[in-house]
Amino acid sequence: MKIDMKKLAAWFDDRLALTPIFKYMTKKEVPQHEHSFWYYTGSSILLFLFIQIVTGIMLALYYQPTLEGATDSIGRIMTELPLGWLIRSVHSWSSTFMIAFVMIHLLAIWFTKSYRKPREATWMTGMMLLVVSMVFGFTGYLLPWDDLSLSATKVGTNIPMAIPVVGKWVTQFLRGGGDVTGDTLTRFYLFHVCILPLVIFAILAVHILLVQKEGMSVPLKDEIAKKKVPALPFWPNFILREVVIWLVLLGVLLTISLAFAPSLELTADLMAPAPEGVKPEWYFLFLFQTLKIFPANMGPVTGEFVAVVLILIAVVAIFFLPFIDNKPEGKKGKLIQYLGVAGLIYAIVFSIWSLL
Amino acid sequence: MRIDNAYFTRRKFLNSILGGWLGAVAASFISPIVKFVWPPYKEPDEVKLVFADYSGMQPGEVKNFAWGSKPGLIKRAPDGSFIAWVGVCTHLDCNVAWLPDKKQFFCACHDGWYDENGTNVSGPPPKPLRRLESSVEGEDLFVRKPGVGAKT
Repeated sequence: MKIDMKKLAAWFDDRLALTPIFKYMTKKEVPQHEHSFWYYTGSSILLFLFIQIVTGIMLALYYQPTLEGATDSIGRIMTELPLGWLIRSVHSWSSTFMIAFVMIHLLAIWFTKSYRKPREATWMTGMMLLVVSMVFGFTGYLLPWDDLSLSATKVGTNIPMAIPVVGKWVTQFLRGGGDVTGDTLTRFYLFHVCILPLVIFAILAVHILLVQKEGMSVPLKDEIAKKKVPALPFWPNFILREVVIWLVLLGVLLTISLAFAPSLELTADLMAPAPEGVKPEWYFLFLFQTLKIFPANMGPVTGEFVAVVLILIAVVAIFFLPFIDNKPEGKKGKLIQYLGVAGLIYAIVFSIWSLL
Repeated sequence: MRIDNAYFTRRKFLNSILGGWLGAVAASFISPIVKFVWPPYKEPDEVKLVFADYSGMQPGEVKNFAWGSKPGLIKRAPDGSFIAWVGVCTHLDCNVAWLPDKKQFFCACHDGWYDENGTNVSGPPPKPLRRLESSVEGEDLFVRKPGVGAKT
């Protein structure tokens, strides 16, 4: 029997209503201006997310989320399975690249003020994606189950305790009890491979839908001047440029993964003293250093409480930034621009300080 | 339709009855789910150690023991009695180490120091190490939470 491909395609198109989507893609245009370069950071994040999904599923085929099996199973992946060490290295490095690009993406949007009306919800879903990405990193850090990741997790999951009443519940929820034990490992694995993927897909779907709905933003001054910005067709011109960038990034990622594969330490001992040099992943370092500089007690409350509250206020303020920065072309808009620069300098300086 | 003098239509009334009922059914599942997700957690009231393992300790010497899933630290006092602590830092829960040459407890996570009596002396720890009570009863060395009497 010969299948009529044209008829088959028409059947799919009829049932799934694909034509409007293709039509949209061919008609979609991307503005071209001096800041268009930053548009590519969004699709770069998607590239790294895709790599995380593929390598993550591969690792999960052999990884065992138990006290006895965790470290050994990673050892097995790295030594026995063909290219296992590279798969793990790529997964680890790609997470770093992904979070770095999420941060660059966020800063680019901050500095171009693309979050202004009508894109407030796009910014807010983006902030949620940043937080989810960081929780992905935090939960993944424990999975090798060595002394360093154990201590870092103890510290990280103890931080909510600084907040009275609810903090204790949050900590017990994260740990699956009062202490970091095998239950914590099981829980973190579940978060990492099941719950967080569901959450990230849900938010990402809304985020991308909003980007399509509102189209790409143009620079503020062009918008005010009502200038017609030249545009590039999304298909195939923009996609071609994206693919080139993807290939370059893939090459950089593979090169670094080959040269600097992560090591594997001895399995964690719940009773052993914390090792020296306990550090979280690089994207938590500035928060880690912030917690460190607060004194033990500040009047009636602990310094940790003050630090945690300040960090929470900052996160909430950044989440609602489009509403705070409601007159982006005015004086307040300028000030928020400078605050962004100050925040960036703060994060860089504190990250370096924590390594000294 | 709306009955004379009614505040809302019949449709609205039925919608809220159905919606409210669905909400109530969903809410009734919350409690068992929450109870399952937050596991019952209990620290041990006491642990029983073999006295013979600790009887040879010199005054000032510190040894480890398991306090549930946390490390415990036990020190021999000059009068031969024992002093015990939970061996986790009061700052952010890292396990502390005893440094015999410095005669101090040390937490490597954020550079916290405690003197040989468990008092926080330097770094971020806000409180002294948590004290436990200990007593020798026959062949056994018991370590207990303060206020928990001997079980007979």
